[in-house]
Order: sequence, then C-alpha cells, then structure tokens
Amino acid sequence: MMAHNLGEARIRVPDRIQRGDLILVHSIISHPMDTGFFRDAEGDPIPAYFIKLVVVTYGGSEVARFEWTSGISRDPVVTFTLKADKEGLLTMVWTDNKGAAFRQSVNIGFASV
Amino acid sequence: MFHSEESPRRAFLRSCAAAAAGLIASGPLSRAEQLLAATGPEDPEVPNEEVARILKRISGGRPIRRGHVSLDMPLVAEDGRVVPVIIETDLPMTAEDYVKAIHLIVDHNPDAHLAAFHLTPALGRVSISTRIKMKRTTWVRAILETSSGQVWAGYSRVLVTLNGCG
Repeated sequence: MMAHNLGEARIRVPDRIQRGDLILVHSIISHPMDTGFFRDAEGDPIPAYFIKLVVVTYGGSEVARFEWTSGISRDPVVTFTLKADKEGLLTMVWTDNKGAAFRQSVNIGFASV
Repeated sequence: MFHSEESPRRAFLRSCAAAAAGLIASGPLSRAEQLLAATGPEDPEVPNEEVARILKRISGGRPIRRGHVSLDMPLVAEDGRVVPVIIETDLPMTAEDYVKAIHLIVDHNPDAHLAAFHLTPALGRVSISTRIKMKRTTWVRAILETSSGQVWAGYSRVLVTLNGCG
C-alpha cells in the first residue's frame, strides 16, 4: 500500500470534534522500513532504511515523540489518543535514518453545535 | 475501550505477592537474573544479556511491577512481518501524574528494543497501536514509566509461524 510514493503520509481525525473530546489520531506513512537483514535478487544486501523518529506537535507544542527501529512494519501506522482542548494544527514529522524528514498536518477545529 | 485482563486491584495484589515471593526466594541466580533481580518470579524469564541490559536501562534499578498495562497482541501471528500491537493503561494522564514513556521489547528479535513512545498529558489517556515485525515465537514486553517514577509492565506471548525479520 502506498509503496511507490516514499514519505507520502496521511493523518486522520474524526470529522466532528468538540472542545474537550478525547479523539483518536490515525496515521500512516509510506516507507520500506528495511531491516538490513535481507538481500536483493542479485544477492546484494539491502541496507537498513527506516523511520527512526516521529515527532507530534499540537498547536505548536510537542505532545509525543516516538523512537522507532526497523522492527516497525513496512508503511508504518500508528494510532494514538489526543485531548482536543484547543483549535490548531496537529503536525507529525517522520525522520528516517538517512536524514530525510516527511511532514504532514491536519487542522483540529471544533464543530459549532 | 480499555480492555484490561485484570482489575487494578487484582494487579496490585498480584504484584505484592510477587514482591513477597521474590523476598523469600533465595539461591544462586544466573547472571541475567542478577542483572534483573527487580522482576517477579511470575514474569517471563529474561532470555539473554541484551534483554537484561535493556530492562535495566529502562528501570534504572526500580522494580518492574506487573500490572496496569494491557498489551493486546494476537496469540498466533501468521505473518511475522505485520503483527498488530495495542498498548493501553488505566493509569492517569494528568499534569501531576502521567505516563511519560512506553517501551516495546520483543525478546528474540535482532533489535529487541523495538520502539519507545514518549508521551505527555496532552494525549489525555494512553491507547497506542501500531504494527511490528517478529522473527519468531517469543514474549513481548510493554514497559511503562510514569512521571512519578513508577515502572509497570504487561506481557504477551506470541506464536510466530512466518519469520518477519529475515
């Protein structure tokens, strides 16, 4: 899934959010997450290539930081909770072991009742 | 939404019993056990020096008590490349007392300390899910650290039929 667009990422939050809701944030990014233990068709080793850090900010403040190894599956997904107590951007930045950073944001806005 | 295998009270009683049993038990300890005298006798055995080192680094000598952590994984993983994991806890997530980190350890993986999730009270509660690779049948450990310095653990044994690590 999404395997041909390295670093393409999606974040999904509920459609209608009200202030104070505890919401689930779903995310996925396209990345091979190569362990370095496999070889290609020619028998050459495939070097380790994986997302090693994910930083989550909400309204400009860091709320979570995930340190990963190549033990996370290909095209990493992660779902976590968030207390929606302010309107603002929820941003995730995934950084791989070659130094590339991939960023995705979603706006957290409150539904008018 | 929180699926705990046992109530906090029961987990607490169990950890007390484990601690008492640990005090009574004596005799020569293996090297790995010496490194990890902090865990209880009912906990999965520490299989090697690497896992002992990882647990010691996380706990910093504090006891690793079983309880408050729900580590939801399949009993059988047919494809070791994609094994779902859900980690939840009933511990508070308030500014005064919160879960500041969760460590995921897969005993027999090449890189056993698979992930660390650093958290803040802004998350409101702890419910984290992802998908991991597993090389073979082994115990998986979720070790949780609170801001007040407590260390809690949940364990899950997963049967792996297809190696996901190469």
